Amino acid sequence: MLKSVTSSGVAAPQATTGATSPQAKMVTISINGKEVEVKEGSTIIEAYYQSGLDIAHYCWHPGLSIAGVCRLCMVEIEGNPRLQIACNTTVVAGMKVNNSSAKVKDAVKWGLDFHLINHPLDCPICDQAGECGLQDQYMKYGQYDSEMGEQKVKKHKVVDLGPRVVLDSERCILCSRCVRFTDEVSKTHELGIFNRGDRAEIGTFEGKPLANNYSLNTVDICPVGALTSRDFRFRQRVWFLKNAETVCTGCSTGCNVKVYFNKEGLFRMKPVYNPNVNGHWMCDVGRDTYKFVNKEARLLEAKVVSSGKSQEMPAMELAKKLGATLRGHGTSAALVLTGSYSVEEYEAIVSYFKTDVGTKNIYHWINNPETFDSFDGLLFRGDKNPNTRGLLEVLKAQGISGSWKELVDGIGTGAIKTVVVAGPENQANFPDMKVKIAELSKVAKLVWLTSGKNAELDALTGDVALLPVKSYVEKAGSFVNHAGLRQQVDRVMTVVPGAVSLTELVDLMKEVGDAMTVKSTAATETVPAISANQIGQGRINNEFTLSRGVW
Amino acid sequence: MAIAIEKVKRAEATDTWYMPGILWGLLLTFKSLVLNLIDYIPSVVGVKKRQIMPTVNYPEEKYEYSPRFKGNHVLTVKKDGSLRCTACMLCATNCPADCIKITASEHEDPSVEKFPIAYEIDILRCVFCGFCEEACPVDAIRMGPEWQTPGVNGSEFIYDIKHLAYRPQLKGGIVSVLDEKERHEAGI
Ligand code: SF4
Ligand code: SF4
Ligand code: SF4
Ligand code: SF4
Ligand code: FES
Repeated sequence: MLKSVTSSGVAAPQATTGATSPQAKMVTISINGKEVEVKEGSTIIEAYYQSGLDIAHYCWHPGLSIAGVCRLCMVEIEGNPRLQIACNTTVVAGMKVNNSSAKVKDAVKWGLDFHLINHPLDCPICDQAGECGLQDQYMKYGQYDSEMGEQKVKKHKVVDLGPRVVLDSERCILCSRCVRFTDEVSKTHELGIFNRGDRAEIGTFEGKPLANNYSLNTVDICPVGALTSRDFRFRQRVWFLKNAETVCTGCSTGCNVKVYFNKEGLFRMKPVYNPNVNGHWMCDVGRDTYKFVNKEARLLEAKVVSSGKSQEMPAMELAKKLGATLRGHGTSAALVLTGSYSVEEYEAIVSYFKTDVGTKNIYHWINNPETFDSFDGLLFRGDKNPNTRGLLEVLKAQGISGSWKELVDGIGTGAIKTVVVAGPENQANFPDMKVKIAELSKVAKLVWLTSGKNAELDALTGDVALLPVKSYVEKAGSFVNHAGLRQQVDRVMTVVPGAVSLTELVDLMKEVGDAMTVKSTAATETVPAISANQIGQGRINNEFTLSRGVW
Repeated sequence: MAIAIEKVKRAEATDTWYMPGILWGLLLTFKSLVLNLIDYIPSVVGVKKRQIMPTVNYPEEKYEYSPRFKGNHVLTVKKDGSLRCTACMLCATNCPADCIKITASEHEDPSVEKFPIAYEIDILRCVFCGFCEEACPVDAIRMGPEWQTPGVNGSEFIYDIKHLAYRPQLKGGIVSVLDEKERHEAGI
């Protein structure tokens, strides 16, 4: 397990204790009078998390080194006259720690008071409100009346640290999580703490903005509203949003994510801890993958263009028509697949083409062959598809090995008359979109399955049909990441009610003229392309995601 | 054990008879009519000012409620006339009728930071509970004494910023009691 963490380059200094390694030796300590078993070598704060207990803290983060600067994680250790910080004290067998005594509570309360001395308390206009460490911990441990009579120190507000992150220095509690992130995880070292005492501020160096591909993680780990996301800023109050877990489709790493949405659509994405895939983080490119899902970007109705006339119709109707055309079409039909769809969908449509249509003309459209195998050393991969590996394995299992040249030649000679394209979901990742559309539109009949709108496709004349398909949040299915890890996701929400998944499309196409066969229960019954031992842990819950707040 | 018999007293006709009540009501109406006439005729001839008329000639005459009445909403303004609202959406969160819709945006002045580019109240869904007024941290929304909400089509019942803050009756806007500049200068 640990191996997969380090091999994907995720810096996880405390991974030994964060991951559940069976060999770890356990020691017994007493927390708040309760005997608990914790892993040897854990810090006290980790012991609290391992046993599901609450402890106040700001600067400690399971994915970063220990700073010990916020002084909020105070505990009483028996035999020790003074309070100690839990994040930087290692447990020893028989240790008796306590954070429920009046002494600890008092220390936390006045620690909080110190943090809030110069805090502007502009919660009404602060994006963090509702998921703020200050609000949460004040309600839990504070609830005092401020005893400060001094004026507050004024600092910089609305500072653009980079293209995606906005800083409000007044709200910052100088926990240094963001600085440690750029030092230890992204290793780009943009952020630093400048000045001293109550003038201390987070900042960047002249001409070196916070512009790395992981910058938005600093917004996530900032326990207060000091760092906010330029993209999400002011668009919604967080308490109006629901969330659900899924997998990012930005590249073949398949980071585990939470999408935040309401009835208007998706608003933002945050990483979910999974030691086998992404650790605690995700990249900034991946955070934009909610945009093409929203209604503005989507194809809402099916559209058929023939002999110069265009007509809109429900996707279901077009699917049935297609079924009638494709049934028994034979080798003059071809299917083009991109790596955006789920394994189940590939299995359904590939076996439909093989058995019902009667052709093995199935081709894989690779978007950016030059950068396909590149990797930035942390998470982001050059293969910007969520499921290339799943697609390849399905194609292999079904014995399909067509080259793109065959398809182009087939179209050129007129041997291929109908092409069905399961087009890309994230069109921005397909720089060759225009070229491919031009190439494929030479065929006599083109059927393009797409979740998003596209101006070039809309402008096509000739015999063309566009059919709206579901995006990754609208269907259940599994994606196989670069390492062969199969991750199952559930449906999150419906954005375009009329859209269908490829599996549903196949079912609809099969219904036509096929009253004799029982309605297919999709291709889940076909040979599983990925053997069981490759089905690894998908999205997991663990001590950190369970008991921590969002910050 | 003996069975106890309880005698139920049924209502008599005299108890349920509604005529006396109606006649009593009519008598009141009639009394007002006579009094109005006594009052009205001299006022028409110009002998005397009307005094005891208990009704008003709506809509020519309008009844004014006290300023504490929770009627139509007002968005207050700052001293410079711009909206006081910071688009925090606490009113929308607190509204039980879910009838407030706010679209926030970034203000070019960093000391203002956030402000509403659209603020709409669907007044037909509003239950005039006043929870919005109570939730607002900066006295940006108040409920005023205006209570008439006529309109000829649905869109007239969606009150936007122009109506809520700058309708003619408000004569240029009502100034909020919480001034952000003063608070900033005081170091709060
Ligand atoms: S950081 Fe937290 S406490 Fe501070 S203004 Fe924002 S929400 Fe309020
Ligand atoms: S900006 Fe946020 S994460 Fe960085 S030091 Fe300040 S409070 Fe901590
Ligand atoms: S008065 Fe009540 S129902 Fe009407 S807008 Fe305010 S909170 Fe909503
Ligand atoms: S009216 Fe008040 S409560 Fe409502 S958004 Fe504006 S400032 Fe917030
Ligand atoms: S969490 Fe221990 S000092 Fe900050």
